[in-house]
Amino acid sequence: MALTTKHQLFSPGGLIKFLIKYNTIFIFVLLLIFSAMISDVFFTSINLSNLLKQVSGIGIISIGMLLVILTGGIDLSVGSFVALLAVTFAIMVNTFILPVAIVITIISGFLLGSVSGYLVAYQKMAPFIATLALMTIARGMGFIYSKGSPITFKTPGGEFMANFANNSFLGVPNIAIIFIVIVVIAQVLLYYNVFGRLIIAIGSNEEASRLSGIKVNKYKFLVYAISGALAATAAIIVASRTNLGSPNMGMAWELDAIAAVVVGGASLNGGKGSAVNTLMGVLILGLIGNILNLLNVPSYPQQVVKGVIIVFAVLLQRFEDKH
Amino acid sequence: MQLNTTIPKLYFNLENDIDMNNSESEYRLEMNGISKSFGVVSVLKNVNLKVKHGEIHALIGENGAGKSTLMKILSGVHQKDGGQVVLNGEEINPKNTHEGQLLGISVVYQELSLVNDLSVAENIYLHKLGANKFWMNWKKITSDAGKLIKSLGFDINPAAIVRDLSIVQKQVVEIAKALSEDTKILVLDEPTTVFGPTDTQKLFDNLIRLKKEGVSIIYISHHLEEIFKIADTVTVLKDGVETGSKAVSETNTDEVIRLMIGRELKDLYPVRNVKISEEPIFSVKNLTAKDTLVNNVSFSVHAGEVLGIAGLGGSGRTETAKLIFGADKKKSGTITLGGIDLNITCPAKAVKHAIGFVSEDRKEEGVFLPLSVGRNISVTNFKPISNKFGFIYSAKEIANVVGLIDKLSIKTHSRNVIVENLSGGNQQKVALAKWLSIDSKIIIIDEPTRGVDVGAKIEIYNLINEVARKGVGVIVISSDMPEIMGISDRILVMHKGTIFGELPKEKFSEENILRYSIGKNLKS
Repeated sequence: MALTTKHQLFSPGGLIKFLIKYNTIFIFVLLLIFSAMISDVFFTSINLSNLLKQVSGIGIISIGMLLVILTGGIDLSVGSFVALLAVTFAIMVNTFILPVAIVITIISGFLLGSVSGYLVAYQKMAPFIATLALMTIARGMGFIYSKGSPITFKTPGGEFMANFANNSFLGVPNIAIIFIVIVVIAQVLLYYNVFGRLIIAIGSNEEASRLSGIKVNKYKFLVYAISGALAATAAIIVASRTNLGSPNMGMAWELDAIAAVVVGGASLNGGKGSAVNTLMGVLILGLIGNILNLLNVPSYPQQVVKGVIIVFAVLLQRFEDKH
Repeated sequence: MQLNTTIPKLYFNLENDIDMNNSESEYRLEMNGISKSFGVVSVLKNVNLKVKHGEIHALIGENGAGKSTLMKILSGVHQKDGGQVVLNGEEINPKNTHEGQLLGISVVYQELSLVNDLSVAENIYLHKLGANKFWMNWKKITSDAGKLIKSLGFDINPAAIVRDLSIVQKQVVEIAKALSEDTKILVLDEPTTVFGPTDTQKLFDNLIRLKKEGVSIIYISHHLEEIFKIADTVTVLKDGVETGSKAVSETNTDEVIRLMIGRELKDLYPVRNVKISEEPIFSVKNLTAKDTLVNNVSFSVHAGEVLGIAGLGGSGRTETAKLIFGADKKKSGTITLGGIDLNITCPAKAVKHAIGFVSEDRKEEGVFLPLSVGRNISVTNFKPISNKFGFIYSAKEIANVVGLIDKLSIKTHSRNVIVENLSGGNQQKVALAKWLSIDSKIIIIDEPTRGVDVGAKIEIYNLINEVARKGVGVIVISSDMPEIMGISDRILVMHKGTIFGELPKEKFSEENILRYSIGKNLKS
């Protein structure tokens, strides 16, 4: 953090405070140890590599969700955006050269998010409603655009992306690297850059921010647009992994993103949250899915376990807040 | 309009360098003939306010007199309907607080307007953050913030997150924030509400220092003794009209009060002739809290008695009240009402046993701001006005509520007025009315007149007297010494979570209360 004291650790009671404050990381480490003990397949490079590939898409969306939640809003449309934008990317990659396809997709994502942003910031619509509407619209558009069926990559550009998405660099999957870079950029923005501090200020006390001359509407607008652009990035990655864009992608991903942000300690009221902790939240939820898979737990009980973990994580945050 | 805000700063600096003490007018600020209405309600009528360079100018008046509105027009929050505002000879018309700040006008509000999740330094320089820069010199604003706070005589870490500060520290940050830019006019709205005597003195020292540096200070306060201590001039508003403006040295408290409420004030504390019962109706024995500092508290209350509880901030008075009322958890001890031991585990139980509690923080804990006056009053007990399926008889509710509004002289157009829109004093009366509507036997009132003007204060004291007359036992917690001595029959003084001493009426004095408050026995 840019401006917080680092001397807390070395004071009496400081260690307990430290443990409580960084509880997300501790839950994650505990889960890691637990996984290693439970299954000897866990710590293999194949499994870890797969795990990272699986969480990257949702992870990138979660960062966008974090920014929106920090301003006190919510974005229900990201899952549908992923579907629509994956379809868009597939069509673009089959029509244009790769760089053009990527740029068009990301710009489209930014524009889609801008619609929500405009409705929330300038038309004063409740974020829940505005993004809910966009969610349904985008999902529908995805089906229209793709005529109901997935669109496979047919060009060398597409092939390149497919390879890229499934390969690794120095043992780390490429798409995971992209995810981590986005996390780092977000963390730096939030804690060392004016833009990030303003986002937090707006979520923490919108009225005080407005009275201090902060252009609240502009920033609220921007976070939704950025969320859209990040959804586009996730869409490109997800489509490339499977070599196609499908209107069925991203189902309920917005809920997973919200869960990751909340498990990562952010407050749904805004003003509180960090990118690194959201990363932890993403990994924790991904880990749980991974362990349960390795233990051959069928998918429905997996949902139950996930839900229970979310409840515990939030209760733990409240315990932290009280102390 | 954009152009207008970037150029004046240079222009003013020039003017100041050349003309500061030679400007045609002896006044730095003149508000002439200011009028403002909100819809059909006229809030300010032709008000004049003239403030000199380097003076402390007190602005007083009852709640609803228009002081806050006048200041909001000055700072840019509201736009005036008529009149003109002249600063250093130039007419100004700020459209928002940012423009106001650029002109050198800074306001410290009553309600804290800090961003809890940012650091102290970021809050102080929040307007700098908002000025559209991409990069911020964090080191510089942190050290500047630190220097600013030090110069005010306080010690707060500028990198600390505001959420973790105490309420006093937050108020200091608010004041530092107002001083972070080149301030020509500093407006303080009830700044000492949360301060104890030492911090109030620190604030005064700072104000006098600022005054010497040439800053003009407009000081809004209900504490007349403060005004006579540090203000040079006092202007009084009543019902949106300026009733008088005098040099403090040429007037006195009585005259000022008369200007405020338009009538002579014989007695601030109305006499109460109530027969107090022989036997106590309510008593607590060895009451100790689980999580707060309340420890081994024992006392009793008689019917018709007003029992005052005094003590310094943090001595456990509010915590004791909350414990009795069931808002905090009890570790041990008994609470007895009418001879029966009560087992109060939550406020609902306390209400059932006819114990009422009016909190010191009425906005957060006393009233339902977005609801109407009528609904606020009915909320404690819908039983007498609803049928067995839970539907409310509106006629009964209305009759009940209207009767109370009338009795308490709550100034409101109708029972449908939203409580948020009432003045502080009237909100307080609504908070009280809640308990009267259910015939409570014991009512605990915490800081009955905090943030309430003189006129409404008397009405609340009359209310308390009437409540006592009905045979209710009233426990009043107050930090206002003249007040607690003026309205209590007996005073208990708390110190470090327990009752240190009891004062009968003959022994009432500020010195005695203070001695007990700090744990010292009386002089014999």
